[in-house]
Amino acid sequence: MNKATTPRVGSAASSETSLAVDLRGIRKEFPGVVACDGADLSVRVGTIHALLGENGAGKTSLVNVLGGVYLPDGGEIWVHGEQCRFHSPADAIAAGIGMVHQEFRLVPSLTVSENVVLGSAPRYLNMNQIVERVSHLAALYSLDADPTRPVWQLSVGERQRVEILKALWRDADVLVLDEPTAVLTPAEAADLGETLRAMADRGRSVIYISHKLDEVLSVCDEVTVLRGGVTVAQPGSLAGVDRSDLAQMMVGEAAAEVPRPPDHPSGDVVLALEGVAALSDRGFPALHAVDLDVRAGEIVGIAGVSGNGQRELAEAIAGLRATTEGTVRLAGADITGASPRVRSRSGLAYVPEDRLGVGLAPHMSVVDNAVVRSYLSLRRGAMLDLKRCEEFCKGLVERFGVQVGRLHENVSALSGGNLQRLLLGRELTGEPRVLVAAQPTRGLDVAGIAAVQEQIVAQRSAGVGVLLISEDLDELLALSDRLVVMYEGRIAARLDPSQTTRGEVGAAMAGGGGS
Amino acid sequence: MTDPTHAPLHTVARGRARWHHGVIRPVLQRRTNVAPAAQAIAFVIGIAAALIAGALLLWAAGNDPGAVYGRMIDSSLGGANSISRTLLRATPLALAGLAVAVAGSMGLWNIGAEGQMMAGATVAAGVAMTAGDLPGPVLILLMIGAGAAGGVILMLGPALARAYLGVSEIITTLMLVEVSIRIVEWLETGPWKDPESRGFALIEPLPDHASLPGLFGRAHIGVLIAIALLVAFWLAVSRTAWGYELRMAGSSPATARYAGISLQRKVLTALLLSGALAGLAGAVELTGTATRLDPGLSNGYGFAGIIVAALALMRPSGVAVVAFVFGAVQVGGQSIQTLGVTSSIATILQAMILIAALVAAVLLNYRIRWVRPVGSDTELPEAADAAATTGAAGV
Repeated sequence: MNKATTPRVGSAASSETSLAVDLRGIRKEFPGVVACDGADLSVRVGTIHALLGENGAGKTSLVNVLGGVYLPDGGEIWVHGEQCRFHSPADAIAAGIGMVHQEFRLVPSLTVSENVVLGSAPRYLNMNQIVERVSHLAALYSLDADPTRPVWQLSVGERQRVEILKALWRDADVLVLDEPTAVLTPAEAADLGETLRAMADRGRSVIYISHKLDEVLSVCDEVTVLRGGVTVAQPGSLAGVDRSDLAQMMVGEAAAEVPRPPDHPSGDVVLALEGVAALSDRGFPALHAVDLDVRAGEIVGIAGVSGNGQRELAEAIAGLRATTEGTVRLAGADITGASPRVRSRSGLAYVPEDRLGVGLAPHMSVVDNAVVRSYLSLRRGAMLDLKRCEEFCKGLVERFGVQVGRLHENVSALSGGNLQRLLLGRELTGEPRVLVAAQPTRGLDVAGIAAVQEQIVAQRSAGVGVLLISEDLDELLALSDRLVVMYEGRIAARLDPSQTTRGEVGAAMAGGGGS
Repeated sequence: MTDPTHAPLHTVARGRARWHHGVIRPVLQRRTNVAPAAQAIAFVIGIAAALIAGALLLWAAGNDPGAVYGRMIDSSLGGANSISRTLLRATPLALAGLAVAVAGSMGLWNIGAEGQMMAGATVAAGVAMTAGDLPGPVLILLMIGAGAAGGVILMLGPALARAYLGVSEIITTLMLVEVSIRIVEWLETGPWKDPESRGFALIEPLPDHASLPGLFGRAHIGVLIAIALLVAFWLAVSRTAWGYELRMAGSSPATARYAGISLQRKVLTALLLSGALAGLAGAVELTGTATRLDPGLSNGYGFAGIIVAALALMRPSGVAVVAFVFGAVQVGGQSIQTLGVTSSIATILQAMILIAALVAAVLLNYRIRWVRPVGSDTELPEAADAAATTGAAGV
């Protein structure tokens, strides 16, 4: 390792030298979103440290700051008692930080050894010697991977081992793994756990990002919990901590008061799922036999730790993910195989969790994004009636209080709250019968959250059936008429929000089953 | 080449260059919005820079830069006759550039416009041979239509493979260039060999009435065809539902899917239209300037069209301007050889102008930020960050 090339600032107090990594008050902002808002992370030498939090809690942003991918907007990075400032991933590597990203960065046509030494090979290549040294390294940490095979022949699990070997070759003494088991089979995940333990025993440190509670408990020594870009819990040792404790830390205590809307009679079933099953992006079963009804004028909340099938559920209803079993009915009509456009026309409004990138096209104008659902009816002959498009957009912007500069500027110039107002407004314009809203308030500021929640309640009063998927338990408990908890792609519990407690919901989210 | 899609914002914030520590260092940062006027200015600045560098080159090679540049400008822009020669070159460049831009607006790269031009010209020549008795205007219209069809035929395989199997269109379209040129060589020596050409391998000449009418000087009405198609494409992209869907599918595929737009169909139409336009360019070149079909007919216009489209940032208005400038550079580069400038120097000069324009177009997407690393005088990273941005400079 060549530490001389790393820009460093200051020096350590001697009491902190047992810390491999100490991130203090890291702040990282992206246009419209604050990813980290003063996050701390202290990792002791020779431990496996879990970084736990919901999607969007800022875990990936925080480790990308540590890995030199992002320059922080504030805060300090200390590695082995020395303050560092990383201008590039190369600086971080030189300081001994090894990252294993969710997306692997390997050259498929090169062999395992070639990939491992790529970019840090000795000046004179002796491939036999390199192969031998790579095998030795692999054997040391029981990282089973044939050094002479080309990477394109390897399974996903083997590729991940190559990534880990890469980091070890560069003498990383802090290894960061971003949701490493998301792509692994259970057996591979168990092997990975052993490898990491072997590394920790040899004095290296591991930062293990996950939102799978069982895994954290079985693999890790210590935990840091992030919520909303802030470190909310650093209990130190995981000894004596159980799954529901972790779930509680992740979802948090009651925060901002969300007023509960007055009771309101519900009507006919407008959205009905019967035995719906679907696959994840990787082709594994992600939804199993989900039965779900939403009535007109009610809000059905979906709670769950992220990655338990909520995304697949929303996409299956919206027509963006094929169902492998079961039927989906919208206002009585079978829409199981219908296209997203047909579903939208028959009264389905969908606010996807990726508002920029799925719901809105970032590099197109506000007007272009406003007419996504209605451009076909804004034509004059073969041409788009640009004047009517603009008027439609203006109406939307005024009605839903979207703050915009010019209507023809890129939509990505808007803040998160205004993006969501625009998206929600667009989806609600056709007088829908069902609204599916996935994480509609995530990452918004207080005013944005209030505006979105108000709009959802208004839809309920207007007789729309709302399916609200959220990671904010307070929001779910306050707004939902019925609450459904998902765990591992199934409905784990059906609760009455006015009767249940946060503890009961948290237990169901952790797979403990509801009452 | 400029990437028609833009990187997401958050990948941009970090620096591109590693610099010595302790020195204020420039960091290239990606811009989010680039004004069209700035694009035009950058283009002009780039060309000016190339001309200055070229002047040094000419001077070193023993030529008089003033005289050479004077001849270049005079031969390409000085008077109706010169302009007509520039337009003659600009026409196939604009059509091929448009063909590449149609695919490019969807984020696809039609690298094989050269081959589709040949395919179009071949089918058009076949029409002229079999239906040569038809009256001129009918025959020419038929030939141009046949040219478009020829381009579509050659593009059919790559387009279907890309839309339904995800096979890279870059490779398939490029490989078919070779195929289409070999086919013409085979026709030349075999089935279509002109019996009167004796020992030479030549295809029968086209009938006289199969030539596009002239416009002025050496330019033919292909110029008007190119302009009409550029305007039509601009209208289609910016003013029709079809164009809206095309822009959406190119700019944010996930949003397009969400809106119910079939990505496969959009990929297919964009590539086939691209092939049709390139094939049409070949037919126009055949009826406009050539006397007969030959394997050199496409003359690199198809490949140059890639540069034209990239410099134009895939926009029709840009294609028109860039194709004209490119045509003028070609004509000017040829004319200065009579001044004793060797052809290799003339080619280097052309290449320098194009590279400078290309670099300007790419650099325009960035701004320079001066970053001061943390030093002993600035202890806190936060304070250093605040002090880091001293200003932004353009290209």
